[in-house]
Amino acid sequence: MPSENKNQVYRIALAGNPNSGKTTIFNALTGAHQHVGNYPGVTVERRAGEFTIKGHKVQVVDLPGTYSLSSYSPEEKIAQEELLGNRFDAVVVVVDSLALRRSLVFLAQIMQTGANPVLCLNMSDEADKAGLRIDVPQLRKLLGFPVVRTVGHKASGLDHLRQAILEAIKHPVRKSRLVLGRRMEDAIVRVCKPLQDTGQYRNAIKWVATRLLVDDDYFVQRVRMMGQAGIEAVSMAAQERQRIESDTGIDIRMFLSQRYYGFVDGLLAEVITRHPNDNARAVSNAIDRVLANRIMGFPIFIVILYGIFWLTFTAGAPPMEWIASGFSLLGHWISGFWPAGSHSALKSLLVDGIIGGVGGVLVFVPNILLLFFGLALLEDTGYMARAAFLMDRIMHKFGLHGQSFIPMITGFGCSVPAIMATRTLENERDRLTTMMVIPLMSCGARLPIWMLLIPAFFPQVWRAPMLFFIYAFGVIMALLMAKLLRKTVLKGDDAPFVMELPPYRMPTLKAVLMKMWEETWMYIKKAGTIILGVSIVMWFISSYPKKHHYVVDREVAAGTVHLSQAEIRHRRAAEDLSYSIAGRIGRFLEPAIRPLGFDWRIGTAIIGAFAAKEVFVSQMGIIYSLGETNEHSKGLRSTLAHEYSPLVGFSLMLFMLLTAPCMATVAATRKESGSWRWALFQLFGLTALAYTVSLVVYQVGRLFLT
Amino acid sequence: MTVTSNESGLSESLEDYLETILLLSSKSEHAFARVRDIASARNVSAASVSSALKRLADMGLVNYVQREYITLTPKGRDAANRVYARHRILTRFFREILDLPLETAERDACSMEHSLSQQTMDRLVRFFEFLSVSPPGPGNFVELFHKYLFAHDKLAEKTQPVRQALDKPVKVERESLTVYDLKPGEFGKVTKVTASGAIRQRLIDMGVIPGTRVKMERLAPAGEPVWIVLDGIHLSLRRHEAEAVLIEQESGRD
Repeated sequence: MPSENKNQVYRIALAGNPNSGKTTIFNALTGAHQHVGNYPGVTVERRAGEFTIKGHKVQVVDLPGTYSLSSYSPEEKIAQEELLGNRFDAVVVVVDSLALRRSLVFLAQIMQTGANPVLCLNMSDEADKAGLRIDVPQLRKLLGFPVVRTVGHKASGLDHLRQAILEAIKHPVRKSRLVLGRRMEDAIVRVCKPLQDTGQYRNAIKWVATRLLVDDDYFVQRVRMMGQAGIEAVSMAAQERQRIESDTGIDIRMFLSQRYYGFVDGLLAEVITRHPNDNARAVSNAIDRVLANRIMGFPIFIVILYGIFWLTFTAGAPPMEWIASGFSLLGHWISGFWPAGSHSALKSLLVDGIIGGVGGVLVFVPNILLLFFGLALLEDTGYMARAAFLMDRIMHKFGLHGQSFIPMITGFGCSVPAIMATRTLENERDRLTTMMVIPLMSCGARLPIWMLLIPAFFPQVWRAPMLFFIYAFGVIMALLMAKLLRKTVLKGDDAPFVMELPPYRMPTLKAVLMKMWEETWMYIKKAGTIILGVSIVMWFISSYPKKHHYVVDREVAAGTVHLSQAEIRHRRAAEDLSYSIAGRIGRFLEPAIRPLGFDWRIGTAIIGAFAAKEVFVSQMGIIYSLGETNEHSKGLRSTLAHEYSPLVGFSLMLFMLLTAPCMATVAATRKESGSWRWALFQLFGLTALAYTVSLVVYQVGRLFLT
Repeated sequence: MTVTSNESGLSESLEDYLETILLLSSKSEHAFARVRDIASARNVSAASVSSALKRLADMGLVNYVQREYITLTPKGRDAANRVYARHRILTRFFREILDLPLETAERDACSMEHSLSQQTMDRLVRFFEFLSVSPPGPGNFVELFHKYLFAHDKLAEKTQPVRQALDKPVKVERESLTVYDLKPGEFGKVTKVTASGAIRQRLIDMGVIPGTRVKMERLAPAGEPVWIVLDGIHLSLRRHEAEAVLIEQESGRD
């Protein structure tokens, strides 16, 4: 297999625990040469990339981070399938040097799969600082395969790692030196015999035998289908399991893990020349005494969150205006190609449809960038785990997980990446519940709606509390709906919470920027694809069919009204929109939304908002023929204040908060949940919720306000 | 009288199993019994223990998960206590009244406990009470006993201590400490992981196995989850997860 052919492409995998710095190593190895996708049919991310060493091309697959190779979570199953299904030329096992004991148990499992391992002792700088001394040559001698020290975020030790990978590829070690004690080894050998006859799992046969012994359903089902030999292997495993359990009085899984620890402890006794001092995490622990404090932890958390939102919305404001005026200039420039007052359909499509629609979404890029910068910072420092620790009690009360909090907070930015972030949740029910309620978190695209409606309907002193109320109400509804879902369609046992709290780490700017950019790019792609398409559709349905005879013209000719030229233009535009497809849908819906206090104009804008929430604002502008409008437009605000009561404004805000998520969100839910069923459930469920709440608020409000 | 179906609806042998599990768990440190111990206590094969346990589990009397530690359900504990209370009453009767040697008393109690009806048992208890409480007086002994039975409602109060002594269930719930019982700064050594399924596997994967030293670091503001340290790794567990990790308290700095 080791060949001197320079053109041969090698394939390796990176495996490791979460928080072991595996992805940092992956990024450092492959640089920009990587592609991120999804494993088919599941919600787990697949990262692959490549690098070259001494003229050899090496393809790398970054396996999902797992704590073991058992098959409880989709991540664990995928890691297994990759390892057993592909004959990787080498498998780099990345471990946190300060969590050596647990990490080496994982290594032992990888060794059983017949992989050709390379051990990568990552975060070795932290280990040094903690006073831990590992005899690397001795460890290498005992394991029989390459062992290297690295510091992922400083990209140190990577040359050695590449060397070691190449060395492992050239001199593969597939026969592991793992010993699990006489009792276990004997049982494995006995199960291996019939298993060999199935002709499957050649290299990984010991691993599969072990999994059969511990009654791992995933393997039992598979092996049982492999004919007589398979059935024999399964029953042999059951027999051996019973024997071990009745001999030892310990259940087999615990027994096996004790054997793994036995192997690891034996190894560590020989290679650790100095143990880490007790205050290895002194700094981190000192920070936690404040940040995770029983009394102070919570207020500090609120302050940190507030800080991120302040950064997002205050620091994000000026660049937002630059982008907005940039698009406005672009619109003017394009308009310049047509004579003034031209009614060209192409000009209207370009300026009103495309630039208006896409520009309206891209305006939020600075906000999104800053929000994701903040969130990436929280994640890379390790604070996110503390947030989950602080929040779990509350979240769990509502049937959610402490970690649901992270995607939900992301939902304040944009529901699309928030829904994608539910991947961090291990249990499908937790994931789906979180996904379903995320659109109730007031996303960035809804901010322009609040910015338009709140000043239009409420006096200065009420504005800030009103904005806070809307955000808080969304959160409360999200929690209540989560509880409802867990009591009905998504009921069932909780997944394990058991969560690691890694030490605080200084994040590297590069990693934070990379994360920030990945998420933002997703948002921009949404603007370039779905929003672009929908903008064109929205432009069409609100421009066609064209009206030729205006009521306002007849009235002016008959002398019944006296209007200025501008007023006539506005009246004509309004008649145009009322005559268009959108206007007709709006009017068709009017009887249904009348009880909420809405007229056909609002109905038309709500239809527009399904494309993207912020479209609501521009759509209202068009309906009132105010030309180019945004949420700061005084004309639109005063028109709204004139046309509708504050109660309608309030009812409308609640409706826009709770109603159907935008199309991109529906698409994201479809993709992440893997079925249209959940996407449609979310779409119609939330619309029904919004309708009910607005109906009650408007009808009850009317009783008190008249 | 080998496999009779009596008032509890359990066969004699199943009643014996319940009793054995009750006794083993009360002796064991953590309120459970093991197949191996049950087999040796009853002098039968592990296989027949398994099949009996399966039937008991089907009846909802024992928790028989992961083929390892067997605990009684509340229902099973009641049934076991009833059987065992009879056993003790009979043994004491044979020992204290009839003055039989312990071995004979135990053996005969064992074979009688399953076949006596509840009514006969009750009368026996009354008789025992009568003998220990009623002062000797004039008259026919049997008549006196019948009077005692007739008046037993009035006497009930007075005889309560004796009845309690006779009926008092074996205390199975030995005060076993769990990780959740540790106060911040305290240490413990894991003796047992009682969780099952995914939670058990995850705890094992994280290194929560017997012998591991655990330190309670802190509680979340609401009292859970808890934050523990083991092997230099910091973990957060929900309350029910922390309560599924049994420990022995250890001394430690901090």
